Amino acid sequence: MRRGILALVRLDLMLWRRSPWALVAALVPPLGMAVLLAILTLSVGRQPVALVVEASGAQADVMAQIIESDTEAYALTVTDAARAARMLHDQEVAAVIVIPPQFDDAVATHQARLDLTLNNVDIDFADDIRRTVARSVAEFDAPQLGIQGELGGPARGVLIPNPYRVAIAEHNLRDTNVDFLHYQVLPALVLLVLSVGLMGTALLSARDVETGTAKHLVLAPLPSWSLVAGRFLGGVAASLIVLLPVLLVCVALGVVTPPVGHWPALLAVLAATALAAAGLGAALGAWLRRARVVAMAASIVATYLFFLGGGFTTIAFLPSWLRALSAFVPIRYAIDGMRQCLFYADLAGVGRDLLVLGVTAVVAVGVGSVMVRRSWAS
Amino acid sequence: MALRAAWEGARAEAIQLRRSPLLVALAIVQAITFLLLVSLFGLTGSRAPTGLVDQDGGRLARHLVADIAAAHNSFALQHMDASAADVALRRGDLVAVITIPRGFSDAVARGDTVALPVAVDNVDADLTDDVQRALPSAIAAFGQETGLPGIRLSPAERDLVGHDTGFIPYLVVSALALDALVVAGVLAAVAITREFESGTARVLALTPTHPLVPLAGRVATTAAVSLGALTITAALVALTYGVVPLHPVELLFGLALCVAIFSCVGVAIGCMVRRTLPVTALVFGVALPLYIDSGSLEPERFDGNVIWGVAHASPVYYAVGLLEHAAHGLRVTPEPVAVDALALVGWAGAALFLAARLLRRGLAR
Repeated sequence: MRRGILALVRLDLMLWRRSPWALVAALVPPLGMAVLLAILTLSVGRQPVALVVEASGAQADVMAQIIESDTEAYALTVTDAARAARMLHDQEVAAVIVIPPQFDDAVATHQARLDLTLNNVDIDFADDIRRTVARSVAEFDAPQLGIQGELGGPARGVLIPNPYRVAIAEHNLRDTNVDFLHYQVLPALVLLVLSVGLMGTALLSARDVETGTAKHLVLAPLPSWSLVAGRFLGGVAASLIVLLPVLLVCVALGVVTPPVGHWPALLAVLAATALAAAGLGAALGAWLRRARVVAMAASIVATYLFFLGGGFTTIAFLPSWLRALSAFVPIRYAIDGMRQCLFYADLAGVGRDLLVLGVTAVVAVGVGSVMVRRSWAS
Repeated sequence: MALRAAWEGARAEAIQLRRSPLLVALAIVQAITFLLLVSLFGLTGSRAPTGLVDQDGGRLARHLVADIAAAHNSFALQHMDASAADVALRRGDLVAVITIPRGFSDAVARGDTVALPVAVDNVDADLTDDVQRALPSAIAAFGQETGLPGIRLSPAERDLVGHDTGFIPYLVVSALALDALVVAGVLAAVAITREFESGTARVLALTPTHPLVPLAGRVATTAAVSLGALTITAALVALTYGVVPLHPVELLFGLALCVAIFSCVGVAIGCMVRRTLPVTALVFGVALPLYIDSGSLEPERFDGNVIWGVAHASPVYYAVGLLEHAAHGLRVTPEPVAVDALALVGWAGAALFLAARLLRRGLAR
């Protein structure tokens, strides 16, 4: 029986090797995801804004300085009114901030205003700009309402009175912020496993039926579960062969840098994810059988697993019904486990994550065996 | 004869699809899936779940709470006590906990400055940024609305568009372009790969008509099914998200062009890979970056001229420009909408040419 399983594993690996397009295709989704992450990294947080200073005077300079120094929020172009209007029209900037003439005089009479012209096409970035400009305005009269004041002022016992009569003492839960790219790079690895392990295994299973290989397999003196297991192990092996070099590249680039003691746990989570994905793929392929249907279904299943598992969002910050739903998505445990290994000091919950992924693989192979037996019986 | 061959090709594909109702159902499910998933993404784009511990409860405290709640769709406030808030924050259920300390209202009324303790789970820089910007914004609104003396400056906003468009309504419209890419692309590609895998492609070369003709008929059927799936999805967008298109004919025109383009792209992919195995992953993998780099989240030029320049190499960019105008009346590309529509027509022609060329070469091999 072991020889039969190993023969199927070898067959699968050979099929992968002889299908360079399949390998390319397996790498495309995670590569696409990486490109997407790079794009989002550029666009998340900072908004393109033009600043027009029409006033002269000490207060106008202070206001301009506040805006210019907030480089985390503004991708700023300081320019004149005509060019700013043209940039706004051509969508080179999303907003134009104007420090109007006689700004200093207006400040003296407490009636100064900061003009904001906003291209409010959608509220996501429009609200980002509104918040940021409002913070700049508040910072003018209350320097401690700027980001440095939030983190280093009242939080460290230094409270300077301000006309808003409210200050912020911010305490962060973690020592460092995890930037967007590092936070989201793990899902790209998960996507790689999903596209090789789940989609690949499902389609290879379906191929057995369409090419007639299944008829020969049914004659082999092997139990149905061992056929599914062979396919499943082939998927796991293919996933790991593709995953390991990518992981090494990530480590070399400093994108994946867990604490030293967390490496075994991280590798275990990755292996368990490959097991679960290939198990689900084997079951899906055995159930649906036709390649076209399997191709479409596998893409849908992978999409749901990826998104509901937290591939593109922070599940904890979603509505409670969605969080409850994602508790049944095995990929959530893969992503949670990997993030725990990479970003947290301890490995709390990783054992549970491994257990869920392992059980998913076992159940999927069990269900797949039943499907194979039924389909052959019919 | 050619017309008949095309018709028979279309009929054969229709029979094939009728025998596989699950495939058609899955195509529709896939289209709807993307709607749901971009909505999910949209949910995390705003309203960070935030615990609010009001230990004061006075008039000014309530005023500040209202200003925090109204701060540019920034917070989904959950009133709770300090210990529950701490547990929820450490469990990862909250992005932040804002505490209004006891005596807040009296102190502010007296003219004192009160520090609000704010604990932030800074695991994700994007959400942390939102909190750090939104809270001063709420405090500024509080100061201006309560008419506190000493405030010298206020913002004066003028919007280019007369109405704000929600993030999710914006996303679901651009998701229609993504739907077209994935559904039409996969269905057409798989129709072609099946011809190669089953060996029918060789038989077609022996037919008395040009072998492209029956295949064109097949792809016409997959395109019709894709358009049907997209129409259902667009109807769902209108019914469930309340996005009734301002220009419905323009929307249909845009969707039909998208289906035509991506069906041809699917044919090209099918000819290149000739196997079903890599098709789905390939289309799916290409779709995500193309979607993001197309103005699907915001006008693409806001991400910089390089990314905007790259976006022009994809039909999805023009499709999103056309669809957002049709649905919301928004201008999301610097180019006029008519140019977007013309570019899409050009893309359709180019994709058709490429598909025919690759198909001819594929059949000749």
